[in-house]
Amino acid sequence: MSKPSDLLQGTLDLLLLKILALQPMNGWAISLRLKQISGDVLQVSDGSLYPALHKLEQEGWITAEWKPSENNRRAKFYSLTRLGRRHLEKEAANWGRLSAAISNVVRLEEA
Amino acid sequence: MRPQHWLYTIPLRLRSLFRRHDLEQELNEELQFHLEQKIAQGIAKGLSLEEARYAAMRSMGGLEQRKEETRDAWGIHWLTDFFDDVRYAIRSLRRTPGLTAFVVITLALGIGMTSATFSMVDALIFRPYPVPHPGSVVTLVSTTHDSNFDAFSYREYLDIRSKTNSYAGVIAYADMQPVGFTAEPATTPRIKGGMLVSGNYFQVLGVEPRLGRGFREDEDQEPGRDAVVVLGPDFWNHEFASDPAILGKTVRLDGTEFTVIGVAPDSFPGLLIFGHPDFYVPLAMARVFSTNLQKNFFEDRDDRELNIKARLKPGTTQPQARNELAVLAKNFEREYPKVNRNRGAAVYTQFEARTREDLNWKFGVIFVILGLAVLLVACTNVAGLLLSRARARTREIAVRLAIGAGRFRLIRLLLTESLILASLGGLAGIAIGSGIVEWFQSKQNIIFATELPVAIPFRMDARVLLASLALAALSAILCGLAPALQSSRADLVNGLKSGDVDLPGRKQLWGRNLLVVAQVATSLMLLTASFLMARSFQRSLLDDAGFAKDHLLMTSFDPRLVQYNATQSQQFYKLLAERVRQVPGVQSVALTQNIPLGTDDFDALAFVPDHFQMPRDRENFNSTMDTVDEGYFDTMRIPILRGRAFRASDTSDAPRVAVVNEQFAKHYWPNANAVGQHLHLESSTGELVEIVGVSQTIKTQNASERAVDFVYLPLAQHPVTRLVLMLRSSGDPLQLVQPVKDVVRTLDANLPLLHTMAYEEYYLNEAVRGPGIAIDLVGAMGAVGLLMAVAGLYGLVAYNVSRRTREIGIRMALGAATSDVLRMVMGKGLVLVAFGTVLGLAMGFAVEQLMNSMLFNAGGVDLVAYFIVVPSMFLVTMLAAYVPARRASRIAPTQALRYE
Repeated sequence: MSKPSDLLQGTLDLLLLKILALQPMNGWAISLRLKQISGDVLQVSDGSLYPALHKLEQEGWITAEWKPSENNRRAKFYSLTRLGRRHLEKEAANWGRLSAAISNVVRLEEA
Repeated sequence: MRPQHWLYTIPLRLRSLFRRHDLEQELNEELQFHLEQKIAQGIAKGLSLEEARYAAMRSMGGLEQRKEETRDAWGIHWLTDFFDDVRYAIRSLRRTPGLTAFVVITLALGIGMTSATFSMVDALIFRPYPVPHPGSVVTLVSTTHDSNFDAFSYREYLDIRSKTNSYAGVIAYADMQPVGFTAEPATTPRIKGGMLVSGNYFQVLGVEPRLGRGFREDEDQEPGRDAVVVLGPDFWNHEFASDPAILGKTVRLDGTEFTVIGVAPDSFPGLLIFGHPDFYVPLAMARVFSTNLQKNFFEDRDDRELNIKARLKPGTTQPQARNELAVLAKNFEREYPKVNRNRGAAVYTQFEARTREDLNWKFGVIFVILGLAVLLVACTNVAGLLLSRARARTREIAVRLAIGAGRFRLIRLLLTESLILASLGGLAGIAIGSGIVEWFQSKQNIIFATELPVAIPFRMDARVLLASLALAALSAILCGLAPALQSSRADLVNGLKSGDVDLPGRKQLWGRNLLVVAQVATSLMLLTASFLMARSFQRSLLDDAGFAKDHLLMTSFDPRLVQYNATQSQQFYKLLAERVRQVPGVQSVALTQNIPLGTDDFDALAFVPDHFQMPRDRENFNSTMDTVDEGYFDTMRIPILRGRAFRASDTSDAPRVAVVNEQFAKHYWPNANAVGQHLHLESSTGELVEIVGVSQTIKTQNASERAVDFVYLPLAQHPVTRLVLMLRSSGDPLQLVQPVKDVVRTLDANLPLLHTMAYEEYYLNEAVRGPGIAIDLVGAMGAVGLLMAVAGLYGLVAYNVSRRTREIGIRMALGAATSDVLRMVMGKGLVLVAFGTVLGLAMGFAVEQLMNSMLFNAGGVDLVAYFIVVPSMFLVTMLAAYVPARRASRIAPTQALRYE
């Protein structure tokens, strides 16, 4: 069972924000999407998803709304706020810089 | 994080706080949805329902833990934890309502006493002047060898104004003084408090009048030219019903007409601590209000009547101002050596000025220290009580520690409990403090027997409330921390096993034993003292004062207020007595310099009996004296035992005479008749007076005094300007007030009547209610002390019981009877109370001796007081020990032993 700490600190937040930036989703759908886009590389347990979502909500980056899901059950749909969009841009840029730097270092070693 | 972000998230936090229940439900629904989807997915993959559910649950990785993590994400767990603690604490406090109430009352008394006394010190020292930028206002004083708070003369004030550079403005004001006031020319003046101030007074202080204007500089330049007056806010309100049309009207002050030009704002009751001047007049009008005709206020450099305050210029420091003024004082000393020899000057801040001007603050500080001591003792006792409670909970705490509660978390829980106790105690304490302050306010007329506008400045304002809350927080920590730390440090294994962890060693209990003994002793002493005071006071009231107090009207006159000279004054009194005698309902009339049992001390008379060889080291003897007219003994119903009273024929041309009281006669002529003897006044070569009568000894200064020597001299031979008129009436003395006023108005419409009241009422105020306050105070302190002693003893015995629960169980299992257990547990308390009682008795005797020598005429020991106080004290304290002891005796052996 993988824990959030298996992911790089803050990475889960970034992933969630990115996924929600595309469209509002409920928790279940997010977990499916996570598996779908990252395959088996990033294993996020279903359990750690909700604390992370609630934390983002408390920060004001995402907001939630109860709506009927595809099978007409009531489900909590999360969507990105303006604040969250700005945060995502910043974090994505940070991530880009960081990963670029790291890949540079890694490539240097290989050379 | 940026502040804007905080702003944004605070509403979210609040929402989670207040919608916690909804959130909880939503979280459940959300997770449920997820699980159902997962299960559906599993079934679709071909798993059975059971397998699918199991897989779903596993993928969550501990549903409850996830929920807990999510709750943490709401960011409010510290607050909800606190609420949980509060709820838990309240529940556990409610389980022992008696103990809780007791602790709250104990703390409330400590906090209440401290906050009440703090309100006194605040009013006497710290409360800033009610003006803008009070910090820059300094006080200038003249200093001599004996005084570091002397006043300045008018000339000196003018010099200071013109020859200093440190100040943005320098103001001067005289002490508040009695002024005869009337708004209508035809009515008799009443006494009000007026204050002479310099023309720049309001402007320098930055006080904007609420109506009209303050004085202009030019209104304070020509002596006697500008008769203008600014009214105080209360005076305007009471006397003129806040009439805005008052501006431009005239009022009569000490016989001179003044034009009202303004009204001071409500925010400015004046610079004085106690007095709130009714009105302000310019210094230039000083002559109208002068009672000293020998001095010239505007010219004499030694007529020092002015207080000076100044506003420092921005950038100037107090030391700079002080140096500058010191140089100026040196110059004064050089230029006017006759009146300024050894005279310096100083500049004080508000704090320095308040602590030098009036020494009442010292009592305030002593009271605050007393209050804090009471609070400290209360906290110690409460800590003791909580400790005994905490011991009873050792097992519960050990269980909590064992299942993983953090030590910090546990301390927090226990501190929350004491915080709740202290908050309740703080609230009740504020109520008690307000009660004390209000009680003082209600005694205002007794404490200040004056017609001037003075008020007790103590009040529970925001500053005092803040201090009280801080005290409550402090006491929460004081009385909660020790028990919290100790119980959380408990040895887990032993705690779980037996609930009988031995925390403090025997030595630590010594302090608490001593404290209980001290409390029992002090409260016994105080209670005895107040009881003794009350009893001997009661007794002395029953004693005859020696004269008749009923059916007497008193009113005083000071003709200096309207600038009479000595001859005019005598003429006035002569006519007054003659005409008042004609008023229907007046039986007799007397004039006297002073009244018995009043506030003012009688003068002392120095004399040498004729043909008496004084001891070499003494020039003369002393006696108290009064100057009275021929109607005095008759009006006051003081019997003349031998000889005669004064007669109208004892004029200034007639032979000099005196009347002495019986005590005096017995003192100097124990074996002879005093009538016919002679006295030299002042010294053996002084004026010779003949004793013509011996009067019965009366009480003169206070109701509980011993007999003192007393000499009466006839008014006609020893004129006095300030006199009291006493009228004996056939009916209600107050019926005579208007007729007397009418008589005075025909003599001089500008002369006010001072202190007009029924003598009996005055006597009750001065001689009965005043000492009553002291007796109440000492009694209340004794009661508080007793309560503290009870709390301390109860806590101690309860603690011992909780320590020895197992031992008691074993003893009872082995056959000890209830009475044996009671005796064993109470024995120690009994010893402590006995020690305290003996000590308290000793102190009580000492205090009684002291009181007998100083105040009361009751000789010997008042056994009744001890017979009442000591047993009741003993009973109450033993009850405090009995309650927990009884609980111990009821311990079921099986239960006590089950702790094993």
